[in-house]
Formats: sequence, C-alpha cells, structure tokens
Amino acid sequence: MIAPEAAGLKLSLRPPYRPQALNISLNHAGIALLAALGALGVVMYVVKLITAWGDRAEWAYPTVVLMFILSTATSAPLIAYASRMAKGYWALPLRRIAALYAAPSLLSFVLLIPIMASLPPLEGRSNLWFGFSAGAPFLTDALALSILLLTGMALLWFSAVPDLAGPPSRVRAMGRWQRLLYLNWTGTARQWKVLRAANLTLGAFYLMGYAFVHMLLTTDLGQSLLPGWRSGIFPVYNAVTGIQAGIALTLLTAAVMRRFSPEAGRFLGDEQASALGKILLAATLMWFYFFWSDFLLIWYARLPSEVAAMQVTVAITYILPFVVAAVLMLVLPLGLLIFNKVRQSLSLIAGVSSLIVVGLIFDRIRFYVAPMANPEPFGHAMHELPAPYWPNALDILFMIGFIGLMFAVFVYAASRIPVLNGWEMRQGSMLRKERTFMKTHVLVIGKPD
Amino acid sequence: MQSQAKRELLALYEEPDQAADAVERLHSAGFDDNDIEILSSTPYPEGAFGEGHTKHRLFAFPFAGAACGMAVGIAWIVGAQVSLPIITGGKPIVAVPAIIQILYEGTLLGAVLFTVLGVLFESRLPDGVGLYDDRISEGYIGISVMARERRLPDAQIALEEASPIDLLSKEGSLMHAPGTT
Repeated sequence: MIAPEAAGLKLSLRPPYRPQALNISLNHAGIALLAALGALGVVMYVVKLITAWGDRAEWAYPTVVLMFILSTATSAPLIAYASRMAKGYWALPLRRIAALYAAPSLLSFVLLIPIMASLPPLEGRSNLWFGFSAGAPFLTDALALSILLLTGMALLWFSAVPDLAGPPSRVRAMGRWQRLLYLNWTGTARQWKVLRAANLTLGAFYLMGYAFVHMLLTTDLGQSLLPGWRSGIFPVYNAVTGIQAGIALTLLTAAVMRRFSPEAGRFLGDEQASALGKILLAATLMWFYFFWSDFLLIWYARLPSEVAAMQVTVAITYILPFVVAAVLMLVLPLGLLIFNKVRQSLSLIAGVSSLIVVGLIFDRIRFYVAPMANPEPFGHAMHELPAPYWPNALDILFMIGFIGLMFAVFVYAASRIPVLNGWEMRQGSMLRKERTFMKTHVLVIGKPD
Repeated sequence: MQSQAKRELLALYEEPDQAADAVERLHSAGFDDNDIEILSSTPYPEGAFGEGHTKHRLFAFPFAGAACGMAVGIAWIVGAQVSLPIITGGKPIVAVPAIIQILYEGTLLGAVLFTVLGVLFESRLPDGVGLYDDRISEGYIGISVMARERRLPDAQIALEEASPIDLLSKEGSLMHAPGTT
C-alpha cells in the first residue's frame, strides 16, 4: 500500500483546518523570474498585436502557444472533476492545484482573438462549417472557448467559496452582490449538497466543452489550413495528448508545491504520484495508439493529398519536432513509467512529467506551424511541400514569455486562493482512517455519496 | 394569530453525536425535517445526523438552459441559412450534419449559464437560516429549528437535552438567561 501522507489523515475539524494561499514575494528568485517572464510575455503579445495583426504566418508560433495552453492548463481541471466523479480520495490535495489552472487558461482567449482574425475566408478551403457564414469560425470558436473558460472559472470559484467565505458574520456584512458571489455561504446541509452537485454538473460540462473546443480549434487552426489534411482522429489525438500533458503539469506542480510550500507539501507525496502515475502511463500509451491509428490509415490508403499532409507533419518538413515530441512524450516516458519505482515517487514522476510538457511544445509545432504559415490554404491538395517555417528571435521570446506568463498567472491565482481544498480535505480526513489488519496496516475509506 | 408565527432556535454542539442526538430528540418531539436545519463548517455525509433527504432543484436548471440554448442555436443557424439560401453540394438549405456543432454549442452554453444561475439561485433563495453564530465556522455544529410560539418550549427542551454549548434565539443566548436551564 502506498500510504497517504500522514498529515492528510489527521486534519482537525474543530477548529477546522483552513489552508492558506501561497505567500509570494518578489524577493524570491523563482517568483521574480516568473514575474519577469510574465512581463516579457505581455510585451511580446503587444508587439505582435502592433506589428503582425492579420499576418497569419506571424501568428504561427503564438498558435503553438495557444494549443499548448489548451492542452496543459485547460486540461488540468479535468483531474479535479474526474477524481470527484470517481470518488478518488487520493486526489484531494491535487484538486485545487488542478482547478487553479482555470485561471491561466483565460490567456488562451487573449491569444485566440488575433489568431482567428488572421484566418483567411472559409470559402474555397476544407472546413467544418459547410458554408455557414453567420459568425463562423471567429464567433463560433470564440464562443466555444469562452463557454469552456467560464465553466472552468465557475468550477474553481464555487469549490473555493467555503474556504474563502469566512465566518457567517462576515458574509452577512457583505453587500448584496458580493454576498451572492459568496453564495450567501453559512454552511447549511442544503448549501453543501448544492455545492457538490454543482461541482459534478459543471465538471461534466467542462469535459464536454473540452472535447468540443479541441474539435473546433484543431480543425480551424490546423487541418482546414493545410489542403489535403483530413483526419477524424486528429482532434481526438489532441484532446488525449492534452489530458496526458494536463496530468503531467499537475504532477509537476505538485512536486514544486511540495518543495516550496511547506503547508501544501505536507499533504503531497507518493500516494498522488502512484495513482496519477498509472493514468499518465495509460495516457502515454494513448499517444501512440492515436498517432498510429492516424498514420496507418493514410500510409495504407496512399491518397497523394493525405500523404503530403503526413509528410509535412511527420515525415519530411517537420520531422525534427516530430522526433523530439515522440521521444519526449512517448519513448522516454514509456520507458520510465513502466517501473513502479518511478511511478510511485513524486520526485521521479515529476521529472518524467517535465519531459512530456516540453515534448508537447514540439508536438504542437509540427501540427500548427505549417498550416498557419501556409500561403496557399485553398484547394483540396498541396502542389508541393511547404518549406519549414522556423521561429525567429521574436517568436522564441514570445513562446518563452507567454508560457512564463501562464505560470505567473497560476502563481498569482494561488496567492489569492488556497492551493488546497480545505473542506474536501477535512471531509476526506473524516472518511479515511488507517487501521491495523492482522499484521499490516490498511486504509479504510468511507464513500457515502 | 400570534401563536401561529414561527420562531427560530439555534443550538451549538461540540460533537457530531450530540448534534445527531438533538435531531433525534426534535423528531421525537414532533418536528419534521422541514423545520430543522444543520449547519457545519465541514460537509458531513447526508443522513449522518439522522436528517432526511435534502431537496434542491439544481438539476432542473441545466435542462432548462439546454432547451433555451438549443432554441437559440436553431434560431441562429436556421435564420442564417434561410436568409441566404445557397444550395451547397446539393444538400438541403438546413441540413442536420451541417448545423450539429452550432446546436451543440448553443445547448452547452445554455446549460452552463443556467447551472451557474441555478447555483446562485439555490444559494440565495431561501435566504439561508436567520440565526447564525461564528462558532459554526470554528467547527461547532449548529442545529436550527423553526417552531411555532406554542411549540418553542418543546424545541428548547429537545435541544437542551442533547447538551449544547449554547442555545440562541433572536434575543440572544438562552443558556445564561434567567429562568432557563
């Protein structure tokens, strides 16, 4: 048995254990670095807006960042939902960490607007919209992403209200709207029940929105801009590898929290690594499954237009990012995660997770740079393979800065909202006990709902 | 008519077992679950205090929202297609495969918005309990009961027999008031 961290089983109910938000200071080198990277991200975004508005190729690498955020920060909250749905108590200390990534996910909307504005007309190229001209793809994609982001923020906020509201006298003293925002929280049995129902319902909608947004954006920013690229598996591949990267990001964040946050660190350990590590291994195998399903079909059918698209994303034009992605997202993680020792250690699995997160950047480069930089997106097939479009210095600074901004926003959110879900952890402590069973110890878990 | 008005009592307990005992005594005294409210800083499993099934209407909101969202989606896409009726690839002007993602989007938007509104609505109305005490957020468990004037002594006895640390009415603590026990 991988025992849970002892602190998680002994939480006080009276006075109730209340987690605190991160105490951050610019005097800390890591925080200062993140702030600097975040500032760089903002500056580079403004520079792009001013110098490259409407120039699609200039937005190729920002599109990589957009799809990176969508596949990491935006997918992380799914862990909170899935573990609530499956009643996985091992994830209690991870749920808020995962849900907090809803905050940096908002940056994806900021990126989406100029990227969508740079797209060519739908007419004359393959697309999802069948001639629907009332707002597609700009309005439809922006609306879909905003639904997803709204759901993520609602999930984060509602689950945080019991930790943030404070005593009833404070809530009663609030103004009408603020009180409404805090759900008029007094801790009645009915409020607890509504909160649990809201978490599950919104979580289900979040999953639905996640899949839908991947379908739209992978098509509108990928396949429909590279003539001949037609794949029904590609959106699913993106969603599944996004889940792989979301798990990796959550594990990586948990390891960093354990190292730098003494309060959160007491609850984070090998139990989370062991449980989430198995899912990460499965998701890593899915990388290959979906890649191979897509590849084999096209290889066997030998349709010239589809083969050309595969040569761009896999075999010729972007072979370098493909190889790096395959090594970092499949070969190395698979080779390491099959060992129990790696899967059951938060420190070791965090190392594997960092490979996956870095590999994802290269994976998204091979998919989205060619379509966004393609000067001839119209027609049904490419006449010749496009030359690779490598990043210039500004693109590299943009990617480093904006990804840094994503982490800076996460840390800022974690400094406002506790990184642990206090009420769920207290409930978990009440319902989980370690007991002696013959000559060993076992965990007795109550699952009443 | 004065005796028909309901008044509220709030008892605070140190231990969950005491709170469960209070609920049982209130039931025995003839108070039903609609009169009793449990307040805690940690969510206890439903029924842990012997209380009945708590009802809420949150699940109705996503359905209503989904229906409204789908209606808006249909209006959006049918309106757009009919206002510019171009036959594409020999397909009908309004073809289901071509509109399915707009319908999905509208339905999901409506469901999410109504769920959020539903959470706010369910939290705001009715306006929680009248009496409250900050000690509940410190881990004590509150049992609130609404009783008609003439039944107030029965409620007070039931709550007191479960050994609360305090018993409150609108006027203040009853534990230390003269003439109460």
